[in-house]
Amino acid sequence: MHKSLTIGLTAVSLGAFVALAGLAPAQAADPVAKLSVFHGVPGLTVDVYVNNKLTLDNFKPGDLAGPLDLPAGTYTVAITASDAADASKPAIGPVDLPLEAGKDYTAVAHLDAAGKPTATLFTNDIGKLEAGQGRLTVRHVAAALAVDVLANGAAAITNLVNPKESVLNLPSGTISAAVAATGTTAPVIGPADVNVAEGTNTIVYAWGSLTDKNLALGVQTIAGLHSNPGSIPAGEAGLVATNKPADTTGLWLGGFAALLLALGTASVLGLRRAAARR
Amino acid sequence: MRATVGAIGMLAVALVLLGGCSGTQAPAASPPATAAPAPASVIPAPQPAPAPAPEVTVPTVSAALSANQVPASLAPVRIRVEALGIDMAVEAVGQTAENVMELPKNPAVAAWYRFGPSPASPAGATVIAAHVDSLVYDIGPFARLASASAGTRVVLTLSDGSERGYSVTGVQSILKPDVPWASVFDRSGASRLTLVTCGGEFDYEAKRYLSNVIVSADPLP
Repeated sequence: MHKSLTIGLTAVSLGAFVALAGLAPAQAADPVAKLSVFHGVPGLTVDVYVNNKLTLDNFKPGDLAGPLDLPAGTYTVAITASDAADASKPAIGPVDLPLEAGKDYTAVAHLDAAGKPTATLFTNDIGKLEAGQGRLTVRHVAAALAVDVLANGAAAITNLVNPKESVLNLPSGTISAAVAATGTTAPVIGPADVNVAEGTNTIVYAWGSLTDKNLALGVQTIAGLHSNPGSIPAGEAGLVATNKPADTTGLWLGGFAALLLALGTASVLGLRRAAARR
Repeated sequence: MRATVGAIGMLAVALVLLGGCSGTQAPAASPPATAAPAPASVIPAPQPAPAPAPEVTVPTVSAALSANQVPASLAPVRIRVEALGIDMAVEAVGQTAENVMELPKNPAVAAWYRFGPSPASPAGATVIAAHVDSLVYDIGPFARLASASAGTRVVLTLSDGSERGYSVTGVQSILKPDVPWASVFDRSGASRLTLVTCGGEFDYEAKRYLSNVIVSADPLP
């Protein structure tokens, strides 16, 4: 009795577990690399060739493509004018991008500090974030000298140079972000509201050219870096418990069953005795 | 004769207790897993005439600040389950450093996990939990969740005053070590509502229940 009850309970629990586990696909280890491409060269619509194959057609400034799931390996990327027939005369590159499995990258076509088109491969930080935290990544890919990034009016990142990045984990929420020449607070970009979302890497690109007065911000977000609660203790009094104090259901049931059996047997015996007496 | 009656009685008692412990009140019809829909902002790259054309279409979006940010979520502020006499305020909560979802002490106040999806989110599970009981406040309304059945209607009021209706698809009682928390707090997949409280057997020494009662509900059209 006791044993079969325990088995019954386990089976029900397992069934419930399986049913709920079916709600979401399992998070398996990722054998591929993820690659996004950001276009930060003003005024130049391009084609992007990966390993000599046209991958992005008529890719416009300020646009973000991907992410592409790619097997790990080294990829050769060439960026041409949008009317090119093939990758033989690239405007940028060809550059070799070594991509490792399980990592997340963004290849950025942009201007260097002097205003010449170039390309940089950034590795995106996809490490898990604590609950309530967001990650802000700022990348300087503009034709401009060193800059400071101001968050809510105060310098959060100083002396960032092209093509470097700065990564901060901070409490999630919207910040007012501005970019100024390093050591100054007069914005050359912004201020603009940036939502540093919880569990997300919000990547901000400062791109364009200071000289040409077309500096701008671009944003890429990578979600799913959050941590989940691991328990919900939602009771402390036992007022709706299915068991009694200082006893387990099984033992209690067992005892109850034994009592009933004893009573039953006693009644039957009593009946028999009564019958025998007659 | 009496013995047979006794055995039947025992069986009935056992069945009732079994049902009470396991808490599988409604058919455990979990919503089918659905693939995460592509973000609404993702539009395929335009493919005008000029050759050559790429073999695969890579999703391309504008990276403009205005077009590419996670929208702020819309908090649920009230939950009602008329069939079960539940009408509670909902607070926005986070989790402790020990990865425990924070709940108001008062079981008459529910908690929404504010870092996860909200009812206005395009995807994922909105999680609302409340204590089932308290040494100070007695039994809470969520104690009645265990008797919800498929089709029970749940209404959430959001911070903008709008309402969202849900229909219960399943009620489960799962031993705490077996609860798949990544699924409960899943931020992808179909938009849905998950209600959590405690139930099942109680450890009278540790003052904790051994199971979580988990109610799944899908949005009403």
